[in-house]
Amino acid sequence: MATSMINLVHRANLSRLLRPAVRLGQFYSTTSTPTVIDKQEKALEVIDEDGKEVIDTTTGVPDWLVKERKARIFIPARNAMQSGSFNTRNWHLEFDTAERWENPLMGWGSNADPLSNLCLTFSSKEAAVDYAEKHGWNYEIDEKTEVKMKAKSYGANFSWNKKTRVSTK
Amino acid sequence: MFCQTQHYATAPAPERIEVFVNDKSLLVDPGITVLQACAMAGVEIPRFCYHDRLSVAGNCRMCLVEVERSIKPVASCAMPVMKGMKIKTDSPMTRKAREGVMEFLLVNHPLDCPICDQGGECDLQDQSMAFGSDRSRFVDNRFSGKRAVEDKNVGPLVKTIMTRCIHCTRCIRFASEVAGVDDLGTTGRGSDMQVGTYVEKMFKSELSGNVVDLCPVGALTSKPYAFTARPWELRKTDSVDVMDAVGSNIVVNTRSGEVMRILPRMNEDINEEWISDKTRYSYDGLKRQRLTKPMVKDDKGNLTPCTWEEALVEVAQKLTQANGNEVAAVAGGFADAESLVAMKDLLNKFDSEGLYTEEGFPSDGSGTDFRSSYIMNSTIAGIEDADVLLIVGANPRYEAPLVNARIRKGWMHNDLQVGLVGTEVDLSYNYEHLGDTAATLKEIASGKHAFSKVLANAERPMILVGNTILQGHEGAAVHEVVADMSHKLKSSKKVEKDWKVLNVLHRVASQVAALDIGYKPGVNKMTEKPKLLFLLGADAGLVKREDLPKDCFVVYQGHHGDQGAHMADVILPGAAYTEKTATYVNTEGRAQQTRRAVTPPVYARDDWKIIRALSEGSKAQSLKQPLQPSILELKDFYMTDSISRASQTMAKCVNAVQTMK
Repeated sequence: MATSMINLVHRANLSRLLRPAVRLGQFYSTTSTPTVIDKQEKALEVIDEDGKEVIDTTTGVPDWLVKERKARIFIPARNAMQSGSFNTRNWHLEFDTAERWENPLMGWGSNADPLSNLCLTFSSKEAAVDYAEKHGWNYEIDEKTEVKMKAKSYGANFSWNKKTRVSTK
Repeated sequence: MFCQTQHYATAPAPERIEVFVNDKSLLVDPGITVLQACAMAGVEIPRFCYHDRLSVAGNCRMCLVEVERSIKPVASCAMPVMKGMKIKTDSPMTRKAREGVMEFLLVNHPLDCPICDQGGECDLQDQSMAFGSDRSRFVDNRFSGKRAVEDKNVGPLVKTIMTRCIHCTRCIRFASEVAGVDDLGTTGRGSDMQVGTYVEKMFKSELSGNVVDLCPVGALTSKPYAFTARPWELRKTDSVDVMDAVGSNIVVNTRSGEVMRILPRMNEDINEEWISDKTRYSYDGLKRQRLTKPMVKDDKGNLTPCTWEEALVEVAQKLTQANGNEVAAVAGGFADAESLVAMKDLLNKFDSEGLYTEEGFPSDGSGTDFRSSYIMNSTIAGIEDADVLLIVGANPRYEAPLVNARIRKGWMHNDLQVGLVGTEVDLSYNYEHLGDTAATLKEIASGKHAFSKVLANAERPMILVGNTILQGHEGAAVHEVVADMSHKLKSSKKVEKDWKVLNVLHRVASQVAALDIGYKPGVNKMTEKPKLLFLLGADAGLVKREDLPKDCFVVYQGHHGDQGAHMADVILPGAAYTEKTATYVNTEGRAQQTRRAVTPPVYARDDWKIIRALSEGSKAQSLKQPLQPSILELKDFYMTDSISRASQTMAKCVNAVQTMK
């Protein structure tokens, strides 16, 4: 492998790499895998061939949480009850819903899944994709739907020959 | 006549004009309003009465902005942009105007936010926080009191608390413009003004629930949802509706594993931002009559709850014993594409092609071989561009309320001319009733009818035929006439090349996906005498026990204890559309996904997983069959093909083996 790929891992975190959560295949296959070099005191990071940071091998998150779930990257719909559209300007990353139940003690909502309560906000789609890739998550993207703007006129309420003339007030 | 050639070149786009929003230059199309120009610049103007999909009313005055060289603030929703306009959306004058409007509105608005269902998602609440004054000058309420208005009863869906009304008239405009029922209106003037139905009556519209969304305050709220949840407690899951074949986009709001309400999600191509009342309010049906446990019929013939294993083994045994031509499946209206595929794979593995949908479609001629013959080709959004529409045997108002809303939109804004062949119904817009029977349709097709001329002159004609008619006994004939007519119109010179004429309006959500996958339409076409029949949510009552062979074993898989479950020998509880991530294809042929908002109740499971588990079980059963080669004895060896069968020597060998033991 080319030496230009400088990949660094903090020594203190090396033990985490040995956990079963590490994707073993990544260390043995030959192409497009991050190589891990133990080198000096530096921030924890693993960089793949494209120069992107990949940390799913080092976080210690169990495999079933990373591989079997799918994140959805989307722009949330405007709440139909409100006219404000500020919440539709950012991209969200969310996982699917897991089982939830009402806690018998207090009546609060409970669930046993760490991912379905996650809601991350990004300023762009690319940022969300980068983040998902960095964590090794599967993801799907729902593209933004554009709103068509139609010219509107107050005068249409009073036009004689059109059906837009207002009958009920 | 020297000017025969027509010029289709469109008029040159009008020159864009420059306006300044908060000193930022912006090029906009002439004719749009100041408010729209600001939206293009990314500045949102506060508003109550203005709504993108309704006409401009201009009565709430909340959208006042300062325009340079104008002595008074300008109502931005009604004012068209002018060249060089300098709009100031955050100047002291604008802010003062907004604060003043807000103060007037709040003088007569009750302070009951803590017990108001709109609390937390109320435009008035939000905007009074953002633009209102931080103190009140209305300190006299012990003496003069606040204005109070009697509540109206407008039916079981919309709850009214009319004291909260700020007279934005959005509900009135929605009713008369989009829903097409002039039920709502105002009486009185000034502080005596009231919004209501004049006399007490129901707001009779299939789209009435949308006024709850439109109401910027808590005057119109949802009756079934009243006092059940707060907006900040709800989890929102984007999904798709399956109550009709339109596939409206929805947001399912849940709290701790329970669907609390369903709201529309904007999709310009399908439902804009409306949904029908059935979509919005039928969610309480998801909590009742559910099949929660697998059930098997016991010796006495009663369905008794059992484990998944028992139920699956029971079905797998039957499946393994039955021949391919004795197995069939019928898919109902709520079946998703995943389970349809899984069911097809399962039956095909057992050499069966007996896959049917409950909903029919003519299979004469090319039948469902071509996708264009059974979908809505010109799309729902395409209705807005059409100039002539011929509806055949459909009542889009109740079969697909949002398609009807689109037709009404085209009729209103694009002068869409509508003709109807079939039973005369109230479609909420004017149309020409051409006749009741298919005979009229034939007349139109042959060019004898007056309407055929209208169709022939159209540049973008559409024919919308309801699937109810197509599955009747005259269905094949109607489809032939309609397809013929569409073909003729499409090939006419006036019609653009990529414009499509034929449109089929389906009634159930699963149909297009089922036909895409290769199900045969209609249970009446079933040729099998099934010993094992799968009902995949088939609840329309078209499959009857008395029509089936006596020894037929019926397996019902679905989510509700309805007609299908009553006749079943085994019940496999499935998931409803809010409980699974599944694909549905709408009547336009658009594939969309529902998403899991809650988990299926008790032991109910995802439908495709059940079928998958069943195939696993039946595979295990089939392992018990002896692995028998085709030739076991010597006598069978000699003669296996046409040559060896013709050979006398080989015949002698066979004879020898049999006689010379």
